[in-house]
Parts: sequence; C-alpha cells; structure tokens
Amino acid sequence: MKKVSLWQIFITFFKTGLFTFGGGYAMIAILEEELVAKKHWITSQDMLDMLVIAESTPGVIAVNTATSVGFRLRGVLGAVIATLGVVLPSFVIICGLSFVIELVADNKWYQAAFKGVQACVIVLVLNAFIKMSKNLSRDWFNAVLLLASFAVATLTKFNVIFVILIGGVLGLSYKLIAEAVCKKKQKGLPLAEADNPVDGAETAETDNAESTDVKKIDEKNTQNKEDKQ
Amino acid sequence: MIYLALFWEYFKIGLFTIGGGYAMLPLVTQVVEQRGWLTSEELLNFIGIAESTPGPFAINLATFIGVKVGGTTSLGVFGSVLGAFVATFAVVLPSLVIIIIVTKLFDKFSKSKYVQGVLYGIKPVVVGLILSALITVGCQVILPNLNLKAIDKSGFDQFNWISLIIAAAFVPLSRIKIKGKKVHPILMILLSAVIGVILFGVINLSQ
Repeated sequence: MKKVSLWQIFITFFKTGLFTFGGGYAMIAILEEELVAKKHWITSQDMLDMLVIAESTPGVIAVNTATSVGFRLRGVLGAVIATLGVVLPSFVIICGLSFVIELVADNKWYQAAFKGVQACVIVLVLNAFIKMSKNLSRDWFNAVLLLASFAVATLTKFNVIFVILIGGVLGLSYKLIAEAVCKKKQKGLPLAEADNPVDGAETAETDNAESTDVKKIDEKNTQNKEDKQ
Repeated sequence: MIYLALFWEYFKIGLFTIGGGYAMLPLVTQVVEQRGWLTSEELLNFIGIAESTPGPFAINLATFIGVKVGGTTSLGVFGSVLGAFVATFAVVLPSLVIIIIVTKLFDKFSKSKYVQGVLYGIKPVVVGLILSALITVGCQVILPNLNLKAIDKSGFDQFNWISLIIAAAFVPLSRIKIKGKKVHPILMILLSAVIGVILFGVINLSQ
C-alpha cells in the first residue's frame, strides 16, 4: 500500500461526496474506479473486504466505506479525514438549500411540484425494498422475521430499535442451536449417518422445529412488552 | 436542550441501522413523529430532496432534519447550522468508532459465528422494516388521514387517487432499462416535480 497524504485522502473523498447522488452503492462503484483502477491506493480485494465491513456494520454504507479506506491508508486520522471529506459536501449543500426551502415553502408552485415528488418517493422506497429483499435467501426463517418485523413496526408503537435487537438475538440463537444440533447428531449417530445419507435433511428439520419454539417464546415476550406499553 | 435530544436520537439511528440509507428510514420516521420534529409531509419532501442532491442520502436527510430542529431555537442561522452539525456528527460517530475496530480485526470479525448469527437475524428484520416504511409513506401520500396504528373508518375519507396514479405510473418507469441502464432516480424525481407542477399547479386538480 502506498503512503498517501491526508490532503489527498480528503480531496478524493470530498470529490466523491460532491459528485455522487444517492450514496450507497452508486458511490462504491465510483470509489472502486478512483481508488483501485486510477490511483492504485488499494487492491480490488481490499475493496471487497471493505464492502463487507461497510454492509455488516451500522451506519451509512458510503460513509462506512470511506472510513474503512481512510483507516487502512493512514490509521485513525485517515479515517476521520476521509469521513469528513465524504460528508462535508452534503453538509454545505443541504444547509444552503434548507434556507432556500424556508423561503419558498409556502409558494404554490413549490407545493405543487412536491406533491408530484411525494408520489415518486413511494416508488423510490419500493425499489429500495425490492433491491434489499433480493439479497435474502428464500426460507421460512427470513419470511417469518420479515413479516413479523413489518407487522410490529407498521401496526404498533413498539420501538424499532428493539425490533432490530430481537432480530439479532433470534438470528444468533438460531445459528447456535443449529450448530449444537448438528454436532450432537454427528457425535451420537456416527453409524446411522453412514447408513443414511439423507440425515442432513433431517437435521435441518429438527433445527427448524427447535428454533420455531425459540421464536414462539420470543414472540410471546415481545407481545408481553407491547401489552405493558 | 434540543441539541442533546437531536444528538441522542441520531446517535441511536447511526448505531442501530445496518444496511445503509433506506434502512434508516423506519427509525427516522418513528423519531420525528414521536418528537414532533417534522410533519409527515415535510419528511416526504426532504426524502425527495435528499435523494436528488449530491452525497449519501442518509447524511443529506440527517443534515436537513438538523437544520429544521436547530431552527426552532432562538439562535437563528447559527442554531440551524449547529443542528445540522450535531445530527450529521451523531449519525457518523458510531460507525466511525466501530469501523476502526472492525477494520483492524477484519478476519476475526468476518469469520465470527456470533457476528454471522446476529447479521443473519438482522437482515430479514431490516427488509421488513423497509416494507413498513414503504406502507407508511404510501399511506401518508395516498390516504393522509389514515392512522395505521389505530384504524378507524374516517381514515379513508380522503383518498388521493391522483398521487396513486402517478406512483403507479412510475413503477414501470423505474424498472425498465434503457441501453442496459435503469432510469436514474434524480431523473424520476425531476419528472415527478414537473408532473406535480402541471397537475396541481397549472391544471389545478384538487385532491
């Protein structure tokens, strides 16, 4: 990895922040072009690693990528500078724009235009939903969690953060139980496994049954919490 | 102290959303509604603008809400800019710290069964939450009187069928590919603004 100056990091991410719209994956394509192909600051494998980090840590994906790249290049200071660079254009532009909006907010034409935009926003959220649901594998676990979180968030006042936390707990318990059951089967039935090649499928079924129980209990807990509220 | 509330709420939003911009939307909707910071119409407008200005969508939205909340203080323009700074700083801070730690421990992190397990559960939940944001946003535009959390019949009094038709028309437009490329969201927003001006301004259709 080359030694890159902090100023170069700042300018590069400032430009990226200034010239990409929408953020997220649009920005990552541009960063790849800029950092891997043009400047050779990092390899495409690095870029892939950083994308994994950006996606699986909290926060804005575009900003996470910037922080991660900045940190790899110049440590903590690099991370801070890259983050600052990518956020600054938004900050300045939106601050300026807000004051303009304050002035025109009661204007008839502004309101008419934004009635149209509001309808379009529905479609933008729809597309975000379609895109994210394509990344999910189609199994019962995902389906149940998706529908449960949808129902709770739409129909109740239950705090969304707890819904996310419960999801994390359920995912972890599912994985750990699945692993434990797998090990138990392998230890307990070494001969049967050799005799019966379909055993794997059975294991999966047992997992399902057990985790459904866990899920039910957790759902009951959720229900209780809601009732208290 | 409104800035403290702003910092705290956006810090939580930054800390608990995995999956980027639109995944933050359900939390943002809940917070601005509960705190009374924005009307649902203002939020919808801001989403449209945040998507069509440079920079990450979620950062733009945070800055917007910060300006709005900061503007309610007696500090004038300085108050608004301070609000924008607080919201933007708060939303970025958790990931800044987490990313630095995770980048250092990348191999351990990405192979950890605990991290994998937690993410396995969070992913479908986040998609469910976005679906919830979709329904909430859709209802705010098309059935503005409907309260999803306490349904009663009067919610169906006002039905904005023109908005529904515009939205329905934009669905195929957003999915088609011209020369292998999808129609850019900014183009769609501009087009929808023009349609809004024509239908609600020039022709003056009332909903």
